[in-house]
This record gives sequence, C-alpha cells and structure tokens, in this order.
Amino acid sequence: MPDYAVSVKNVSKKFNLFHEKRNSIYESATGFFQKKRHSEILQALDDVSFNVKRGEIFGIIGRNGDGKSTLLRIISKIYSPDSGSVDVRGSIIPILAIGLGFHPELTAISNIYQSSILLGFNKDEITKRIPEIIKFAELERFADTKVKNFSSGMQLRLAFATSVLVDPDILIVDEVLAVGDINFQKKCLDTIRSFKKRGKAIIFVSHGMAEISKFCDTVMFLKEGKVGKIGSPAESIAAYQDYLAKHPEINPKENLSNSI
Amino acid sequence: MTTIREEMWKTRGILFNFAMSDLKIRYRNSVLGVLWSFFEPLLLLAVLFVVFSTMFKFEIPNFPIYLLLGIISYRFFQNGTHIALNSLTNRSATITQIYFPRSIPGLSAGVTAAIMLIFELAVLGIFMVAFQFTPPITILLLPLILALEFVLVLGIALPLSVLNVKYKDIEFIWGVVLSAGFFLTPIFYQFDMLPQALQNVLQFSPLVQLVTMAHHVTLYGMLPSINTVLYAIGSISAVTAVGYLIFRKYQANIAEDM
Repeated sequence: MPDYAVSVKNVSKKFNLFHEKRNSIYESATGFFQKKRHSEILQALDDVSFNVKRGEIFGIIGRNGDGKSTLLRIISKIYSPDSGSVDVRGSIIPILAIGLGFHPELTAISNIYQSSILLGFNKDEITKRIPEIIKFAELERFADTKVKNFSSGMQLRLAFATSVLVDPDILIVDEVLAVGDINFQKKCLDTIRSFKKRGKAIIFVSHGMAEISKFCDTVMFLKEGKVGKIGSPAESIAAYQDYLAKHPEINPKENLSNSI
Repeated sequence: MTTIREEMWKTRGILFNFAMSDLKIRYRNSVLGVLWSFFEPLLLLAVLFVVFSTMFKFEIPNFPIYLLLGIISYRFFQNGTHIALNSLTNRSATITQIYFPRSIPGLSAGVTAAIMLIFELAVLGIFMVAFQFTPPITILLLPLILALEFVLVLGIALPLSVLNVKYKDIEFIWGVVLSAGFFLTPIFYQFDMLPQALQNVLQFSPLVQLVTMAHHVTLYGMLPSINTVLYAIGSISAVTAVGYLIFRKYQANIAEDM
C-alpha cells in the first residue's frame, strides 16, 4: 500500500469563459461559422502536482479565483481534468458548499441517506449512524423537517455531521466552516483532529491563516492556478503574504467587493 | 470504457430508492401525496377515454380496453423520457457538490415511470372489470413486452438526460416528438387503417411495434410473429446502444456545463 491517500499529478484544467454563454444548437451552429470568438480560455489549473499522506491535514491557500475550488472538485471527481491524473485511495467526501448536494424538498434524514448513498456508502451502515449524525448536528428537533427550511448554519451542521459520521478515508473541507457558530467550528476542528489521529487524510481550504498554521501539517499556496509553494504552514503562508504584498492591484474586482 | 458500465451496474440497487424519493418530491405539498400516482392516471385516462371513445367511432373490438392499453403503453415511454430530460438539470446543486455516477438520475427516471406504469396497469384492471372483459391467456406475455419497452425507455432516457444539460433545445424538441408520437402510434386507431405510404415509414418505429404487440396479446389472443419480435428487439438494442454511446461521450463534463 502506498502511504499517500491522494496523489495529484500534473493536473491542468481550462475553462471556456463564455461572455455570452452558448447553450443552444442554433447558437453553436451559427457561432461555428463566426470568426469572432465569444469565449476566452481561462487556465484555472496549470500543471499542479502534490501528494497528501494518510494522517495528514493538507491546507490549501490562495486568492479567490486562483483554482482552489476547481482543484477540490477535480479531486472529488466532480470535474474531470484536461490532462494529468488524480489517484485517490479510499472513500472521499467533499464539503464544498453549505450542504452535501442536499435536495431542498427532502427532509434532513432523507438527505443524509440520499447524499451518502450517492457517494457510495452502504445504506444499512448509514441507518445505524442516523441518530449519531442528528445528535452531532444538533438537529434533534428538525430531523424530519425539509432542508429548504434550514438556515445556512443548520445545513452546514448537517453536511459536516453526515460527512464525518459516515466515516470516509479522505475528507475535503472547503472554506465553509466559517458559516457555523463558534461552538460548532470548534467541534468541527476537534473532529478533524481526531480524524487525523485515526490515519485519515484531510484537505482543508481556508482564508484564516491562524487556523491554517495551527492545524495543517503541510500547506500548498496556489498562485494563479500553479503551485506557488508546498511546505510547512509557516513557509507557504510567508510565500502567500509576500505575493499579496507585491501584487496589491491584481484583482481589481476583489478589491472593489471588499470596499463595498 | 468498461468503468462506466461497471459503475452503472453497481448502482442498480439504489435506483428504486432514488425513484421513490423522486415520486415524493413530485407530489410534495399535496394532501393525497403519493396516492396521486394512482388518481392522476385514473382521472386522466377517464378524460382521454371519454374524448376518444365518443369522438372516434372506429370499428375496433373492445375499443375501451384497446384505447386504454395504448395510452398506458405510450405514457410509460412518455413519462420515462420526459422525467429523464430534466433529471440532471434539476439536480445541478447535487452535481456540482458531490460526485455520483451520472447515470443514476436518467436511469431512475425510467424506474419512476415503471412505478407509475404499475399504478396505471391497476387502473386498466379496474376498467377491464368494469367492461366485463376477460383477457386471453396470451396476456401473460404483456410483461415481457413492457420489459422490452423499459429497455427502450432507459436507452433514450440516458442520452436525453446528458444532452439536455448541454443543449436546452432538446427539451423543446423532445416535447414535440412526444406529441407527434402520440398520434403516430396506433393508440386510438389500428395500424392498418393508415395509408399504405405512412405504414411503410411508421412500421420502423419501435413504439408502433411495441404497442401493436401489446394490443395483440392483451385483446385478441394473438402471438406476435417471430419477425416482429426480432425486429423490435433489434431496433431497441440499436437505439439503446447509440444512446449509451451518446451518454458516455457527454457524461464526463456534466458539472462543468451546469
């Protein structure tokens, strides 16, 4: 058995950024004859390689739009890479949004079943864990309420509780924990730590540098879709901050939204 | 790639669960809930029955049963493919958040239609009792014909589900195809009532074959000819194979196209 849980090799991913997205056959046909391109190519990831070991918390940092979420989606098989390969050893659960692909019209319990069965977990195993999941999520009063009536925090709690209690080998957490309240965040981070102790791999994206340096064993700084630095939390955070200091102007949109 | 087929085979056990939650979502916020899957076809079939049996006075023996069986057989195809059409687009949140085999929604649309078919067959049974119609022994072959239709439904549901993500036009084109298909399939008339030229073309439609066979075994105690059976199996296998190839080509980039 190799000692890594996730191995990413030379992964690249482009997106066609349609300025007026073509979505019908007529538009495709006419667009085919037009010389003017309506799309530009966005190189979201460019030759990214890294390994995540068992029992490791692997952090990813970088600016908005520099490929963190695309990378997590490729590892979780939601997107397919244009080139390169991803080797995942074991079951994987990604928490990419406040939910786990929940259906708003299904109850909390039905959603636990649906998401975890879709992810390939055994139904009888899940049945045994339902009470635990509901308890962990602190949703005892809402177990048979439809998820559309849940607040963001409640959805996140349900997603996190489901993810950790169906017990995957690899857990991916995008920067969503911030939605939960302080108590729940602490509970999440404690759980992530105990996961690590049990030899599981965690990939953790956050903008909270304090969290990153406190929890992660290895940190990767993604710079405009490329690997900027892989190293200890201190090294990678220093590289990231150095880069930010040198490029204060890079993302005018982001600065604008910050100032609003 | 055998991996997609393996993946599809592995998920066969969860299609029923998925189809049931589909039905629950379909009839959400209604007082009768899933009971509607019984009452809806009952009411609809009653309306179609009144309309067609009063407006079209064809000399078809046992016309009420003939009509209902045709409608039910056609609705199986219509429901399955129509539910499949938006089965992926309606789940964009799930598709962009977790990975699961992309065949599940399309295939489970076929299963949903099969569950609805069972309710509609119950309605047909009620009509048979009401019209004091005793079916011949050959009706035992009806499940086999419907099973063959199920393959056709899956074979079309699968490509429709992925194509509609890429091209929204499919939804509108398919709506027209389904409306046209209702009139081009011998549901309220008999196939040999059509002009010869039209018969020559339409005889290639798998639905014409299926519905004709269903009529023969259920109403007239006639076994379908070997040629008809072989042709139906051949054409449905071909459609399903092409459908699978289309699905395989488009399924990988579903999340990106959302």
